[in-house]
Amino acid sequence: MSDGLVQILEGNTFVVSDDRGDIEASASDPTGLFSFDTRFLSRWVLTVDGRRLTALSTDDLQYFQTRFFLVPGSGTVYVDSKLTVIRQREVADGFREELRVLNHESKPVDLRVRIDAASDFADLFEVKDALKKKGRYRARVADRHLVLEYQRETYVRETWISSSAPADIDEKGLSFRIRVPAHGEWSTSLHVVASAGPAEGARDDRPARIRGQRRVRQDMERGLEKWLRQAPRLECDWQPLEQIYRRCLTDLAALRFSTLTMPNRSLPAAGLPWFMTIFGRDSIFTSLQALPFVPELAATTLMALAERQGTRIDDFRDEDPGRILHEMRYGELTAFEERPHSPYYGNADATPLFVVLLDEYERWTGDARLVKDLEHAAVAALSWIDEYADLQDNGYVSYQRRNAKTGLENQCWKDSWDSISYSSGDLPGFPRATCELQGYAYDAKMRGARLARVVWRDPALADRLEKEAADLKRRFNRDFWVEDGQYFAVALDGDGRQVDSLTSNIGHLLWSGIVDKSKARAVARHLLGPRLFSGWGVRTMAEGEARYNPIGYHVGTVWPFDNSFIAWGLRRYGFKEEAACVVAGIMEAAEVFNGRLPEAFGGYPRTTTRYPVQYPTACSPQAWSTGAPLLLLRAGLGLEPQGDNLIVDPALPMRFGSLEVLDLPGRWKRIDAFGRGRVDTDRITQR
Amino acid sequence: MSKGRAGSAGAAADPVTRFFAALDQPGHLATFEGESATLRLDVLDGRKVERWHVSITNGDVAVSHGAGPADATVRIDRPHFEAMVTGRLNAQAGFLRGLFTCEGSAGALMMFQRCLPGPPGSTGRVAPISSKTVMAERGMK
Repeated sequence: MSDGLVQILEGNTFVVSDDRGDIEASASDPTGLFSFDTRFLSRWVLTVDGRRLTALSTDDLQYFQTRFFLVPGSGTVYVDSKLTVIRQREVADGFREELRVLNHESKPVDLRVRIDAASDFADLFEVKDALKKKGRYRARVADRHLVLEYQRETYVRETWISSSAPADIDEKGLSFRIRVPAHGEWSTSLHVVASAGPAEGARDDRPARIRGQRRVRQDMERGLEKWLRQAPRLECDWQPLEQIYRRCLTDLAALRFSTLTMPNRSLPAAGLPWFMTIFGRDSIFTSLQALPFVPELAATTLMALAERQGTRIDDFRDEDPGRILHEMRYGELTAFEERPHSPYYGNADATPLFVVLLDEYERWTGDARLVKDLEHAAVAALSWIDEYADLQDNGYVSYQRRNAKTGLENQCWKDSWDSISYSSGDLPGFPRATCELQGYAYDAKMRGARLARVVWRDPALADRLEKEAADLKRRFNRDFWVEDGQYFAVALDGDGRQVDSLTSNIGHLLWSGIVDKSKARAVARHLLGPRLFSGWGVRTMAEGEARYNPIGYHVGTVWPFDNSFIAWGLRRYGFKEEAACVVAGIMEAAEVFNGRLPEAFGGYPRTTTRYPVQYPTACSPQAWSTGAPLLLLRAGLGLEPQGDNLIVDPALPMRFGSLEVLDLPGRWKRIDAFGRGRVDTDRITQR
Repeated sequence: MSKGRAGSAGAAADPVTRFFAALDQPGHLATFEGESATLRLDVLDGRKVERWHVSITNGDVAVSHGAGPADATVRIDRPHFEAMVTGRLNAQAGFLRGLFTCEGSAGALMMFQRCLPGPPGSTGRVAPISSKTVMAERGMK
């Protein structure tokens, strides 16, 4: 998000404006009111007596609420205004804006207040790619509303604008001729509703969604309070950690997203504001990270993804039976099948990760009921691994898009075009079998076997899955191991040849447990070694690879989310001190970023730049960056459910001093975890 | 409401009748075990309204003609519905486009949506691409 832009949101409805609260969208200026991936306002400009206003201050009161203090005029350093204008905006199913004009003079003033409004009804994809619209626009005044409308065939989207104070409404906005008494105030409440258009057969003057607005807002305030109150409490000698933790919880609350089928439950959307939708991979990873703290996100994620699990072969959407979706969208391009996001299934990791999350969720919560309800979905996901993902008939999960026009080329988390390359910099062909996918598949089979044995009472399935997992692990340690370098290749190419660059993907392998014990030490050494470890964290690609670039998206930057799973992986193989170093590096970076970790930051050596250099990204907060500190806390404290108990086995950076996390929820009801920092991590992070 | 089993009316060539007969045939869909929902479909053909009732009870599927109570009611013109049941129109896209309305439970619509076939031309297969081609497309070597 560019500086100077203000964003507030609720669900998938959000407003991006300038610091005055005005919206003037252009190709290069992605401001607006957005809902369901569509822009419902591209112009919203306030003037008083024909003049624009200047911001004195802008306060984000809540993630869904902002207040703008304004004075008339612009451009001057010296402000001596007899008027103050306050706009307070809250997002719900559109937004509500309380507009107040305060007169500081000892005589009344007559003013002309005007709001200009217009909408281009752009699809989010169009905002990014500057595409041309195919439908017709219309503006009309109806029943004391200004109605902006866009229609393409039967596709109708409308913006309904109204005011509590009487207004002169024309097709371009609302005007108020007002008299403000001496030292007095005038106010109105402006209401903007984003509507999917009047339903046929139920043609009412008002859109259905206009009702219930007030209830929604009260629920939001209560919801945030409750959310923060119910989360475990954290106390730490190292103060920044408390700030980081609070930031995570508040940002996670803002990232909560409800689907139409489960309006009373929420799951983590991928990022704010452009990715406020379900992403299979991002929602699963974030749910895994947050599991020890807010387990209900995982339950909703699992249910929402199961509800949309693939059932058929659809090449346009890269859908197969059993496959877990990649991304869901609601805009015009999706509606007209010009984009495949209804939903799009092109990823190769969310399906095994779905089973991993289901098992991990049960281990923490003991909610066998949900595991039983999702038995068929989990078995279908496991079948997908063998029946649909083994594109080369070699027993490995591979990917290659069938939608060559609008599908995704790289269907793993490193999804940029050059993320998977040989050491030489050459790019492999397709299909590609990246290494972490094999790890996820192995873990899914092992965890599926546990669920089959413990919950589904299907020992035959459990035996089969364990046998397949053991076989996969054996072959993997043979076929992916780069003997010269003592690490795992990032992928096998279409010919079964190793794609031999050294990448952070090897850290995920530890997390999945697919690495032979005899090879784990070498992997850990690489992760903390100078080629991969920057001092702040593990780089996506090692220094020395042809495509390495410290500010390349997936070829050298450090991703906090990636590192949180690497830390968990290091713990899994008993590398406690190494895990503590990753915890220290990322948490210290989080301190520099005021508690909010970006999606990625530069892979420059820490000793060179002294500060982590932020990689410019469109979304902040990003869900899995928000979740990273939570998983790092888990790794640092060594939290591991075992039966009805929670094991606490801390290995924390010395800097932390004493750390307490109180009231961790789980099958043990509530439990406290304590730790003291004893690992000298500076030795590695500051070297 | 008439309780006649779907498909018994003949007209095997009609895609709608064929679709419902096929849906009714297995009697059980493992995909929906643990789930239950009922959906009424009002298929509009000029002035005629054809009513279908689909009920899924813990995976057991039953299709009938009629207008019984349902968790959700879909109203759709026949040509659009024919496109949907033959895989030529994606239901989610059609819904966003306003090609049909649904009142009631979104979950029931979601379940029905998953019973629909994929596009006719989809094979699930694609030819491999060589490293050389990938490099050439990116203007390298």
